[in-house]
Order: sequence, then structure tokens, then C-alpha cells
Amino acid sequence: MDSLLQQLERFSEVLAVSRTTHVSTWDAATVRRALQWARYLRHVHRRFGRHARIRKALERRLQNQWKQEGGSGPAPALGLTNFQALGHCDLLLSLRLLANRALGDAAFHYLLQELFPGPGVPGAEEGTLQGSLALLARRRAAVHMLRSSAYRENPVLQEDSLMKTQAELLLERLQEVGEAHAEGPGRFLSRLWEHLPHNNFLKVTAAALLLPPSSPRHQEEESELGNPRRAGERGRELLHWLLGKSEVIVAFCRNLPAGLLTSVAGRHPEVSRVYLGLLTDWGRHLHYDLQKGIWIGTESQDVPWEELYGRFQSLCQAPPPLKDEVLTTLKSCKAQDGDFEVPGLSIWTDLLLALESGA
Amino acid sequence: MAQDSVGLSSDYQFWIQKLSVWKQASTLETQQDTCLYLPQFQEFLRQMYEALKEMDSNTVIERFPTIGQLLAKTCRNPFILAYDESQKILIWCLCCLINKDPQNSGESQLNSWTRGLLSRILAAFRSDIKEVDLFTQGLGYAPADYYPGLLKNMVLSLVSELRENHLNGFNTQSRKKICLPVSAVLCLWLRHLPSLEKAVLHLFEKLVSSERNCLRRIECFMKDSLLPEAACHPAIFRVVDEMFRYALLETEGAPEVLAAMQVFTRCFVEALEKENQQPKFALKTYFPYASPSLVMVLLQRPKDIPQGLWHRPLKRISEMLKEIVEDETQGSSGGPFENWFLLAHFGGWADIAAEQLLTSVGDAEPPEALLWLLAFSSSPGDGPQQRAQTMVEVKAVLSHLGRLLRSPTLSAGNLLAAAEERREGDPRPPACQQLTRRLLLNFLLWAPGGRAMARDVITLMARTDEIMHEIVGFLDQTLYRWDHLGVDAPGSRKLARELLAELRGQA
Repeated sequence: MDSLLQQLERFSEVLAVSRTTHVSTWDAATVRRALQWARYLRHVHRRFGRHARIRKALERRLQNQWKQEGGSGPAPALGLTNFQALGHCDLLLSLRLLANRALGDAAFHYLLQELFPGPGVPGAEEGTLQGSLALLARRRAAVHMLRSSAYRENPVLQEDSLMKTQAELLLERLQEVGEAHAEGPGRFLSRLWEHLPHNNFLKVTAAALLLPPSSPRHQEEESELGNPRRAGERGRELLHWLLGKSEVIVAFCRNLPAGLLTSVAGRHPEVSRVYLGLLTDWGRHLHYDLQKGIWIGTESQDVPWEELYGRFQSLCQAPPPLKDEVLTTLKSCKAQDGDFEVPGLSIWTDLLLALESGA
Repeated sequence: MAQDSVGLSSDYQFWIQKLSVWKQASTLETQQDTCLYLPQFQEFLRQMYEALKEMDSNTVIERFPTIGQLLAKTCRNPFILAYDESQKILIWCLCCLINKDPQNSGESQLNSWTRGLLSRILAAFRSDIKEVDLFTQGLGYAPADYYPGLLKNMVLSLVSELRENHLNGFNTQSRKKICLPVSAVLCLWLRHLPSLEKAVLHLFEKLVSSERNCLRRIECFMKDSLLPEAACHPAIFRVVDEMFRYALLETEGAPEVLAAMQVFTRCFVEALEKENQQPKFALKTYFPYASPSLVMVLLQRPKDIPQGLWHRPLKRISEMLKEIVEDETQGSSGGPFENWFLLAHFGGWADIAAEQLLTSVGDAEPPEALLWLLAFSSSPGDGPQQRAQTMVEVKAVLSHLGRLLRSPTLSAGNLLAAAEERREGDPRPPACQQLTRRLLLNFLLWAPGGRAMARDVITLMARTDEIMHEIVGFLDQTLYRWDHLGVDAPGSRKLARELLAELRGQA
């Protein structure tokens, strides 16, 4: 077991080096050895894929390593990131070497011979690097082609294919991380939050929380991980983390479009509670300007009336029980303020009036 | 060899020109043109590779001085790269240009340039979707990991958008559309069962939520869904058929499901005939559990047979079914349900049988075969005695109706009474009641005196909403059938139409 872990570490280093100018010292023999090593580790992956304990240990080691490298940081991960990556570590290595200009001509020539032997026995392609590389090129072109000629951002964000894909990937990764360490997902998500652009991350989070309960992708792909949990359960860790970090949930509720938030709130009552709480909070920060006849805030970060109204309007278009919950909240706030019917005294009165007339 | 190389040279010129026109295939025209030529271009690439692999890089440049242009332009055309094995062959061609040991700056430059192209085709980390790139890197995924999922999602969303547009009949945006031909949808359905099932469920939803009693609209939905056309491929037919079967079982033979299935089958047969003069697949592949000769008879189009001779195929169908169903020995094709299910696909025959019985009422003894067919189609689970009993009942109703036809005291009341009169005391089983109602309605449409009392009879008959619903369905189905068969009966048709309009208005 230890030797296996050592092998893993060594190879990770090789993989990291394969991207650097250090490869200028590599000759054909070095390339050959590196590829052989990768092939061996792929074999390890196949062999131990079903061995929960070994897999877990390897996974843990890789994740730790990744963390140490400042994984998910601004620089892309250099080594192996998880157990699944072992399954195509030879592909990873090959791609890096192919793209590395520092690799000498002779070594490169050898690499090409190894990777692309040419038309051989058909049908034996599937397992080979030649086949995988060609497939990768093909898929990349297909994505490019679809994106440029047939793709349009879906206004319903959670149905947008790019968003959905990122959401599915996020949940998949969370599951793996969770299997290796119990507290893994939370820490992992916090790291992502630190390093990735917030806007996209929040959207993906919302999309992930709106994925259908049993992710078909997960069921189709051979789950090597023993007990396939469904997307509903995986989303739970994400939700838990989201609700536990005030900075994140505030940004979530503040920056995401109203319609998207309404959908999330409709699906997850815990979110609707927090969302409503924040909305009422934000509402209380506004005061009535008698001259202008509008509700305004004092600080720059105060949520303006239009936005507040827009969010409440969206919530009121949701199906019950969310819609009812929202109206109840508004009415009780109005009551607390003194239950005025006249505009200009309580923002809740004014909101309710506007919602009734607008709806 | 010299011949080949001359051929290759001229091809080469042709393709270089084509590639220049196509550029990156960013307009609809260039895309369509590229797609038309993809297989031939791949063949050309293969031939190029065969030629290149025999040469060293200097010879290559001598022989094909503009090879750089050719390869570079190919690399920039995503349609070519996404097609079949073209990307692989292109890579092989590029490999031929790499020099193991460059002797001068020219050779080094060629190496460098070629490596650049290879990198570009395989570039793992340069994609045009920046946020996705960043995000997935952050998660620790490489494009090799997420491309399959991404492609699947993009294609599925495209297909559902196209389907939506198709069914709703409007263009969502004023933007370029890639026409997804039926063959592409077919490919998708053949490879990915869930999307086929989704399409069928979507259709069911539409049928259930909207035009429940209007077969013409159902036919429109059916055709728009592309399912009948796609079902010419047996695998797809079987899946759709299976879903209909389950729907029937779950709803216990709901008439709406039956009607939808019949429409589906009609459209399917139409598509089959349109597609091939000789059928590509044996009938057995579509109906593996049924007797092939029975299927052949059922598939006959009444339209192709003179109306006066309809009793012949009817008799044949009845006899064949009877033999299969009442044959005790195993090894006969399927049990009663399977055969009933088969018959239900071609429901028109049972309806025609009912009509035939009515229009010849009073003339002679109703043919046993037709009686049997009617009894079986309304109640397949009956044992032989029960069925015989039903046939006797129906015969009695028919003879009553025959008498009333000649009677001067024909009125709504005694018509109904005649239909309901029974020898024994207990009420008829519901299937039998339905049959009786059907015969009565047929009578109203065909009998000379029927017109006058049609409304009264119907009012008396329609004691429940369900029965009313059934009557509306019957009228709609009858008109639909007459339209398709070109039945010439202006009086009956007019009456049926009027009744339908009135009843629909009431509902």
C-alpha cells in the first residue's frame, strides 16, 4: 500500500514536471518510461477501483496533495487531483507533453509514434491512447461547433446546458470529496469560494440546488463509488454549507436574479426562510423621502426599492406554499409597523399595495 | 502510382479551394456545404495520408507546397474535426511532417508550426468557454472529463428546443437554426433511450391535457412529434408500442389512449408506406408476438377495397383471431390480451364491423364472424361461453332494431327500450352496454328515421358524463374514419357533424 502511495506521489511529480521547461532534458527513453508509468497507474485504477478502502486511501492522499499544491487556486492543479483522474492519467500526461514546446524534437517524434501509430487493427481503438486523443479532439470540435452555431444562453438559468454541466460536475466532485473525508465538502466549497469568480460560482450553486432529484448522468455512468447517492442528497451538503456561511448566502440572495432565487426558494424551504429574512432586513433599511415620494436607502449598499419590489413580485408568482409564506410575512411586517393602509408610512404597506396593483 | 498521384493532385486543388470558401464554417451556407462534403473530404484525407507517410518532410513540401494551408484550414473547421475519423487522419497527416532531427532552420520551423497545429487540435486547456474552464479547473476536472456530459446536455437542450418550436409552431428567436433532420433525431433516440421516452411522455401529456376528443388534432400532434416517422425503425416502434401498452394497462383501456394508439398506428403505417416501396424490415420485427398473416390482413387498407367487399377481410380477421384466441394449445401467438392489443392498433376494423352489422340489419342473419369480432374487441377476457352469450345479446338487439326499422311507431322511447330489453333480469356487463350504445348510435346515423330522434335518444342515453364523453368520442372517431376512408354518406355525415358540434358546445 505504501509503495503504491509512493508511486502515486512520484507520478504526480512527473505529471507536474511534464508541463514545465524541465522536459527539455527528456529524451525518447524518458518519454517511454513516463508513458509506461502512466499505463501502470491506469492499471492500478482499474484493479482497485472497486476496492473501497484502497480507493479511499488513494483518494485521500491525492486530495491532500492537491490541497497542498494550492489546488483550485489561481494556478491550475498540477498533479493528479483525485482517484478518477488515475483512470486517464496517461491521457493527461500525453496532452501535456504534446503541448509542451520545450520537449526536444527527437523526444517529440518518439511521443508521436507512441501516441499515433496510425491505422492498425480497427476495434482495438477504444482502449488506446490514439482513440482517446482522437475522441477528445472530436468532442472539443463538437462543443465548439455547437457553441458557436447552435447555442444560446437559456434565460432559465438552471436549464442552460453550460450551467447544468457545471452543476453536475460540482455535485459529483462533492460526493467524491465527501467519501474521502467526512468534513471534506464544507472545506472544499470554502476553498472554491475563495478562489473562483463569485458570480459564476453562485449561479452554478443555484443550478445545482435545482437539479432534478436523481441525476441521470450519475446513474448512467458506472458508479465506482459503491453507493450512488442521488443528487438530492448530494445537494444537501451544498445547501448546508451555503446556509452556514453568511457571507455566501447574502451574496447569493443579493446578486442572483430574482427568478432564479424564487425557484431555489421554492425547492428549499430553508433558503426561502433566509431569503425572506434578508429581504425584510433590507426593506427596513429604506426610508421614505417625502419630497420625492419614494423609498430610498442611505448607504450605497442598500437594496433599492425597485429591486426589492422585483424580488417580492417574483416570489409572489411562485406556487404555494412559498407564495403564501411571502404574503404572510409581508402582512405581518405591515402589522408590526402599525397596519397602515396609507402609503408612505410603512414600506410593507407600500410593497403590498404595489404587488396587488401590479399583479 | 502515377495515376493516383495525378488524381490526388487535382483533388487537392479542388479541396484547397473548398476549404478557402468554407473558412471556419461560420455561416449557414458554409456549414451546409461543409456537411455535404464531409465523407468525401475524409476519403481525400485518407488518400493524402497514404501518400504522405511514404515521404519525408522535405519531399512533402516539394510535392505539396501548399500543404500547410490545407492542413491549417482543416484544423480551423470544427465541422470537419467533429466528423467521424477526420480528426484522427488529420493528426496522422501532421505527424508525417514532423522531423526527428531537423538540420536547418527551415525544418525546425516546420516542426514548430506542425506542433502548434497539433496542440491546437488537442489543446486540452484552451476552450472558448472561459467561465466553464475556470470552474472545472477549480474542481480539478480536465476537459476530457467533462466534454461528454457537456455535449450530452447541449444536444438534449437543442433537441427539446427544436421539439418545442415544432409543436408550438413559432420561431423563438431570430437567429440561425441548424435544421435537425429526422435522421438526426432518430440517431439521438436510438442511442439514448431516455430522450425517446421523454418524447413519448411529452406527447402523452399533450394528448391528455388538450384535445381529448378530437382525432384530427391528435393526428397533428402525432405527426409533429416525429414519432410515427421514427417508428419505421423497429427498435423505436417497439419502445413506443410498449409505452402505449403500459398506458392501456394502467388506465384499464381508457378510450383516449386507445384512440391515440390508433392514430399513431395509422400515421406509422402511412410513414412506412411513404418511406419504402419494399419494406426494409420484416413485419415480424414490429409485431414479434403476432401471427404474421394476421398482421398482414390487419394492415390492409379498407380504402383499397371496395366498400361492398369489406366483409371479406373482416371475416378473415375474425376467423384468424378466433382460431388463435380459442385455441387451447400453447404456442399460438400470444394470449387474448396480446391479440386484442394487436387488434386495437387497427381499431378501425371493429368499428367497420359494427357499421356493417347495422347497415345490413333487417336483411339477413348477422354474420357470426362480425358478431364474434365485436364481442372480442369489447371484451377480450371473456371465456367462450360468455362471449357466445354476448353475441346472442347483440343479435337480439340487432333483430329488434331491424323490426323497429320497419315499424311505423318508431320513436326515441321504444328505440331505447328495445336496446335495453333483456331476457334475464340482471344488467348487462358494461362492455356489452357500450357495444349496445355503439350499435344504437350507428343506427341513428344510418337509419332513415334515425335522424328525427337522434337528439332525443342521445339525451336519454347520456345519463352520466362518462357516457356523454363516450358518445362524443364515438361521433368524432366515426367522422375521422369516414374522412379517411372517403365514405360517401352525405346525410349521415351531416347528422354526425351537427350532433358533434351540439354536444361539444354543451360540454
